[in-house]
Amino acid sequence: MAILEGRNLTKYFGALAAVNSVDFSVENGEILGMIGPNGAGKSTLFNVIMGVYKPDKGEVVLKGETISGLKPHKICRMGIAKTSQIVQPFTQMTVLENVLVGGLHGKNLSFSNATREAEEILEFVGLGGLKGMASGSITVPDRRRLELARAIATGAEIILLDENMAGLNPTEIEEVLKLLREIRKQGKTLIVVEHIMRAVMGISDRIIVLNYGEKIADGTPAEVANNEKVIEAYLGQKVCFV
Amino acid sequence: MAIGLLLVPFAGFSGYLIRLLAMIFFWIGKAGCWNIISGYTGYIDFGAVGYYGIGSYVTAILMSKGHVPFLVSILISGVVSALIALPIGLPTLRLRGAYFGIATLAFAEAMKQIFLEFDKTVGVNFFEGPHGITLPIGPKNEFFYYIGLVVMVAVVGITYWIKRSKFGYALRAIHEAEHAAELSGVDTLRAKIKAYMISAFFLGLIGGVEAYWLTYITPHMVFDVVITIQMVVMSLLGGIGTVFGPVVGASFLTIIYELLHRDFPYTYTIIVGFIVVMVVLLMPKGILGTLQTKRVAQKGRLTQ
Repeated sequence: MAILEGRNLTKYFGALAAVNSVDFSVENGEILGMIGPNGAGKSTLFNVIMGVYKPDKGEVVLKGETISGLKPHKICRMGIAKTSQIVQPFTQMTVLENVLVGGLHGKNLSFSNATREAEEILEFVGLGGLKGMASGSITVPDRRRLELARAIATGAEIILLDENMAGLNPTEIEEVLKLLREIRKQGKTLIVVEHIMRAVMGISDRIIVLNYGEKIADGTPAEVANNEKVIEAYLGQKVCFV
Repeated sequence: MAIGLLLVPFAGFSGYLIRLLAMIFFWIGKAGCWNIISGYTGYIDFGAVGYYGIGSYVTAILMSKGHVPFLVSILISGVVSALIALPIGLPTLRLRGAYFGIATLAFAEAMKQIFLEFDKTVGVNFFEGPHGITLPIGPKNEFFYYIGLVVMVAVVGITYWIKRSKFGYALRAIHEAEHAAELSGVDTLRAKIKAYMISAFFLGLIGGVEAYWLTYITPHMVFDVVITIQMVVMSLLGGIGTVFGPVVGASFLTIIYELLHRDFPYTYTIIVGFIVVMVVLLMPKGILGTLQTKRVAQKGRLTQ
């Protein structure tokens, strides 16, 4: 059974349908890739799922329960977390405290439990040595890991990753991919928005493709890569020279 | 230190010193209230005096017209202020940055106008308009000294408790990155409202106490925007968002005022302005904030 479903989701900004009648579903434990050219509606769809935007039409269903219309913190507590495209650490807090916020509020843990879990999670994502650092003074790749750690700390079963690998070099990308596979092994479901094709093709079980707010393809990485509409969206129409 | 403060009134100091200390306690209380909402969340409240004024009037009316005992009156002052903070906070705490500041400033000014014009408009003698209200003559300064001490300890204590609580982490997260806080499961609106209501409760309570101390209040006195500005300056001077910043800032500024007011009665505001500008330039995080940063930097060097 699908753990998360979007049914006929539509979100307008003025007259523009940023997301237009999109249906999708994610199975428990799946890694779903989401790709599409700039402005295709990927981030908007994430924000609709998270409750940042209320869909104008359609609904988001988490484990059989409609969640669209709820506020982001409620949705977070129900089991969906998101890492942002633009990293937003709580810069005056230490790395550990950043992750604590997720445990204390997203998962409603006591201080001692939240601290213990936060330390484990930081070890897991490879930030164990930085836990006492001010999060404003760590590098960008580390900040991206920190976002991920905070999302895990909320206890979410589904993690939405919005371009978590942007700005990373190939070695760093490999490390993040390894980490994402580890996270999946723990039973989490991931939805990955990514522009780096090699990364998203390599890690996803299934990929959906958006273009101008509409879903144009849904299938395995190989199917999607050979889909006419997808090639057209990325490379433009084939021109026939007679 | 604590015992020292308890014994001050018995140590044979002048009435002036006791009055000055009591004044400092109340300023620490007010600046501390401002710090709870604005220091922790970063929502700069320019209408804090509104709750102080409401509290002053609630106590004044209860004591002069209803003969309600002082302690009951000031508690009701706090509760009424907190209850008014709820409908004011719900819309305004959705505004960001300067818009929140302007909205709260407008609230405080509107309250002043309501208390000034209500009687004339409605045709009753309740708030007494610009003539103000006279309260029963209160006890001696020592009484207010102890009340001030209790209020100050309560405000500083709650500020300290908040900092170490889940609630405090929510407020700090809101300050740093509100959107990320909401996505991490923090009920941001609820946390802001809670901080705003706690702040309003103590401001109302302090307003009530000071009304009884002054024995006479008018809307122009208790809704004076200068009171808000003092709270802001004291918190900034001491260290915004720190537990003891308002303690340092309020003590420092009140003492400077007193000393300069005595020796330079005509020019002291210029000198105070100069000192404030210098502190802000040299210590942008406030006195305590700057000292803390230095200490952290030193520790960092030692561990490297």
